[in-house]
Amino acid sequence: MNPWRQVGLLAKREFIQRATSKPFLITMALLAVVILAIGPAVNLFTGGEGESTKVGTVGDTPPGFEGELQNQATLFDMTVETVAYSDRSEAETALTEGDVAVVLAGGNEIIFHTDASSRLTALLHSTVNTTVKAEVLSELGVPENEIASVLAPVPVEVTTLDEADVQDEAKKGAAFFGAIALYISIIMFGQFVAMGTVEEKQNRVVEVVLSRVRPWQVLVGKVVGIGALGLLQLAILAGAAYASAQLADLADIDVAAIGLPIIASVFFWFILGYTFYAFLYAAVGSTVSRQEDLQGAIMIPIALILPGYILAIVAAENPDGPIPTIGSWLPPWAPFVMPVRIAAGVAQPWELGVAILGTMIGAVLLVWVGSRIYAGALLRTSGKVKFREAWRAAAE
Amino acid sequence: MLELVDVTKRFGDVVALDHAGFTVDPGRISGFLGPNGAGKTTAMRAVFGLIRPDSGTVRWNGAPVGPAERIRFGYMPEERGLYPKMKVRDQLVHFARLSGLSKSEANDVVDHWLGVLGLADRGDAKLDDLSHGNQQRAQLATALAHNPDLLILDEPFAGLDPIGVESLAETLRGLASDGVTIVFSSHQLDLVEDVCEDVAIINDGRVVLAGRLDEIKNQSSRRRLSIDVDGEPWIPDLPGVEVVDGPGPSHCIVDDDAPVGDLIAAASAAGTVNRFVFEPPRLTDLFREAVTP
Repeated sequence: MNPWRQVGLLAKREFIQRATSKPFLITMALLAVVILAIGPAVNLFTGGEGESTKVGTVGDTPPGFEGELQNQATLFDMTVETVAYSDRSEAETALTEGDVAVVLAGGNEIIFHTDASSRLTALLHSTVNTTVKAEVLSELGVPENEIASVLAPVPVEVTTLDEADVQDEAKKGAAFFGAIALYISIIMFGQFVAMGTVEEKQNRVVEVVLSRVRPWQVLVGKVVGIGALGLLQLAILAGAAYASAQLADLADIDVAAIGLPIIASVFFWFILGYTFYAFLYAAVGSTVSRQEDLQGAIMIPIALILPGYILAIVAAENPDGPIPTIGSWLPPWAPFVMPVRIAAGVAQPWELGVAILGTMIGAVLLVWVGSRIYAGALLRTSGKVKFREAWRAAAE
Repeated sequence: MLELVDVTKRFGDVVALDHAGFTVDPGRISGFLGPNGAGKTTAMRAVFGLIRPDSGTVRWNGAPVGPAERIRFGYMPEERGLYPKMKVRDQLVHFARLSGLSKSEANDVVDHWLGVLGLADRGDAKLDDLSHGNQQRAQLATALAHNPDLLILDEPFAGLDPIGVESLAETLRGLASDGVTIVFSSHQLDLVEDVCEDVAIINDGRVVLAGRLDEIKNQSSRRRLSIDVDGEPWIPDLPGVEVVDGPGPSHCIVDDDAPVGDLIAAASAAGTVNRFVFEPPRLTDLFREAVTP
């Protein structure tokens, strides 16, 4: 029988058994719901775009103020409604309590609570100006239609030279979340590989399995099956995050342009990084015989992953720094650091090449070393096996 | 035909198998016996490539055993184990497919064995939810799930109640009559004597006795002598006599040229003879002799 078909069967079992297990489904559903909820939640806290802004008035307002305010608000891309107060102190209380965003007092004073919004100032200023001037012109006997044409606001387009600012911030943020997702996924699915290995040793089913297939097949099947599950989880989370960002109604940010490359990069580096670490996790998992002993053994991969995570955080702030730069070249950390530096736009193509090639070579080495330790340790079901013993036993 | 030829395996300073060799003919049931630590499990593992012998070969139908041969073997290890959270039927199908069966073949064979072993209504249960006896049956079903040509069972009778023992023995006889070659290890010698046609006894890594059980018995130069006089065991005074106490009535082992006529006369002179048996040695006698230094 084709050995790769057996690997496929082993991978399929790993995937299906885990993907249909209740803990996995529940965790997955909870995570997706939480991520989906973040977008709308952001809208709720920031007031969002569609909300109307409340403008308080106290004392006299120029005639036609209300209508002109609505007119101008459209030009400012805002929706406003007015609330009239009978005296100033009442209006000020409403302002401090946040019932209104701004108060126009006596038709010639704009009051804010703490920070003056330049946008609202401009809106009210322009509205008052227009209405007062219209009144003056009308008193001078200028016909209504002429007043309207004279005072009609001249549309002025606003452009920024350096629009990238907001985009860059969003990009950085997305890359940072991508790094966290990578870190969590590699640790989580690496641990699944280690736990699965110990489980099979602890249940003794490993001997039944090994009477049919070779150790490398069991190992590759496990890594592939669990890796596929990791990709599925990442796809669900990425989908939820993407939908969430759309729901968040983020003005000025092109969610697709920023999100999709980050998602693609997380997938790519997950495959590389997971392959690198999964075989290490399997090797350390195979050296212990009970789940209780596993926590100590997986300190080895975790000690390697953690600096990568810290470097990724450093790189998010300072993608050009010497330490993140060097870290992004080296196999154990490249999967965490390189995507952040790429998102920041500072990584050169050759650096990317070094990182990918280095990680691939590292992964191949770990596949070789990991499989040998795994094969040597798998049938020793009592106590802890030393790496050296396992290495030698594989030759027996 | 399964052949172990001159297989040696050392683990550090311990010699687990020391030029061990025996043969099992197709369609026969062979008992693989030996004290604890004699090398039984190591020999069985060598057949499945779970350990690599330092020297010697394992052959199946004349060819060295490799993955292509092993795929037709079934194994029940001494350390039982399956996936505890997986449905019984699902794991049997999984293992059958690992052994090369197509999906539909695997389904058919697994349903057959679930039925034969009385697990038909437990197929959708998780292994964890099965009783001890049913878990044992599931383990046997795993070894059988792909209709193997060679079945190797490490202590298959351990932990079974008498009814379980009888039904397993029945299953094995049925398989053998269908041409399956069967090797199993056991410490229950009466059972082996009942079920097996061939035996191989291993001690300290060496095969000390192997062949057809009836031939070995008949060719033995020893005989089992059991005499009761006045309701009490009566031990004759003979050169080379070896007294064996229980289980069962006390008896002694003597040479096959023991003067039976004289013994009957002497026993009759001592009192009323209730019992006089002179017969080939039983497996337990052969075993004791083979493994006693």
